[in-house]
Amino acid sequence: MIQIRGLSKEFLGRDGAGTGVLAIDSLNFEVRDNEFLTVIGPSGCGKTTLLRIIAGLIPFDDGEVRIDDVPVTGPGPDRAVVFQNFALMPWADVLTNVAFGLEIRGTAKAECEGTAMRLVRLVGLEGFERRLPKELSGGMQQRVGLARALAVNPRILLMDEPFGALDEQTRRLLQEQLLRIWDQERKTVIFITHSMEEAVLLGDRVMLMTPRPGRVKEIIDVPLKRPRGQETEKSTTFVEIKEYLWENLRSMQVLDQRGEA
Amino acid sequence: MARVAMEAGKMGPLSMPLTLWRPFSGTWLEGAALVGGVILWEALGWLLAMPWLPPFSKIIGALNQFIQSGVILGNVASSLQGLAIGFGISLIVGLLVGALMGRYRRVEKALDIYVNAFLISPAMIFAPIFFAIFGLSGAVRIAVVIMYSVFVIIMNTATAIRTVDPALVEMASSFGANERQIFLRVLLPASLPLIFAGIRLGMGRAVKGMINGEMLIAMVGLGALAQRYGSQFEASKVFAIAMVVLIIALVCDWIVQTVENRLTSWVD
Repeated sequence: MIQIRGLSKEFLGRDGAGTGVLAIDSLNFEVRDNEFLTVIGPSGCGKTTLLRIIAGLIPFDDGEVRIDDVPVTGPGPDRAVVFQNFALMPWADVLTNVAFGLEIRGTAKAECEGTAMRLVRLVGLEGFERRLPKELSGGMQQRVGLARALAVNPRILLMDEPFGALDEQTRRLLQEQLLRIWDQERKTVIFITHSMEEAVLLGDRVMLMTPRPGRVKEIIDVPLKRPRGQETEKSTTFVEIKEYLWENLRSMQVLDQRGEA
Repeated sequence: MARVAMEAGKMGPLSMPLTLWRPFSGTWLEGAALVGGVILWEALGWLLAMPWLPPFSKIIGALNQFIQSGVILGNVASSLQGLAIGFGISLIVGLLVGALMGRYRRVEKALDIYVNAFLISPAMIFAPIFFAIFGLSGAVRIAVVIMYSVFVIIMNTATAIRTVDPALVEMASSFGANERQIFLRVLLPASLPLIFAGIRLGMGRAVKGMINGEMLIAMVGLGALAQRYGSQFEASKVFAIAMVVLIIALVCDWIVQTVENRLTSWVD
């Protein structure tokens, strides 16, 4: 279980002191084991900052982040991140990219290769093992990113708008694939998105955040049965939750624009 | 027989442009420019009959004479030795200091002004100082070569490391990579293209430094030879030495480029 209590994070001004921006203000929430939590909110709500804090990539100012009661002080083998812009090494082929996390953690070379091959197959990239990232489409590149994260067999998968840079059709295919994989290899997932459809389609719960400073507005249960797919999006529950999210996000955007005028 | 010859004759003009000619078409203009330049040089040399512009054929003659007498070989070896030692030290120091400057902001802040100052200032200004420290030994030449080449390598390496996509470093950190792993597995491979650009610039400058050092202080090797013939107004011999230097520079550049192509074939 992931527990977040009173979490605050302030980004300091350029001079390194004072007049900073409060990115996250006293967040409180929990993520259950094997739960799929999607996080949505307008830009500036600190959702990416939150993810990077849980990943242990940046420090925070106040509060605590605990995973199974152990405070997070840095990156750990229980977590892996899928990045918005893929973050693939352009000089390394697909297999090497997928095996990267394993190699960093000192796994034996033969085992690295075996695991990487299994994941390349899992994400449907068989036959592309020796290709360089630049030879792949955006969707394929992110599948490499997903395979790399899954390769280290983390209990928690942190996904930072992973499909945000992809076109609509590719995104839908990857959402379906992610759900299929998640069905096979249950993990706790925190999934940042700015797409309302995506938030509802994927999440067991949707966490709605407000901007400046980032706060939890509400956590909404998504009582849609799994496996989910195209049919899910036609259900009344799906549409209702999506509408509800839009009402909230819309009012935040309007407020935001007034605030800036 | 006749039929075969005829068929070959028919095939020839057709297949030539397709198979043989095409790979050369890119360098065609370069070759023509080179040949044209030599012809122009030769013609001007004879027409003007100026002592400072001997015809190209006379330069080749002087070069031939150098090779026959063996005088060039010893000097080339001496020059190359100075170049190799000087450039080797430049490479090691340049990569090390550059990497530290690129990775650590404090090191960069502390050294940036000095590296920039030395990069801009003409290295030969320090000739008297080198002379005072090393005397007339070969070390002077090595010092000049280093002075010419190390700063551009430092500069490029620092910029290369500093401008590596931070997303890649963050990715590596997210898997728990330590500083050494981040450096060897991410920063170094990612910055190789730019580092090699610096090494190539440094190599070119090292050859210049070698000749300048030899001509102005050390009085050894090819530079000293050029200096001696220059003061005797033996233009064709000076040009012949210049050609040897040019060839050395081109070969050195070719070596660096070959290594570069091996290591950075992933770049578009």
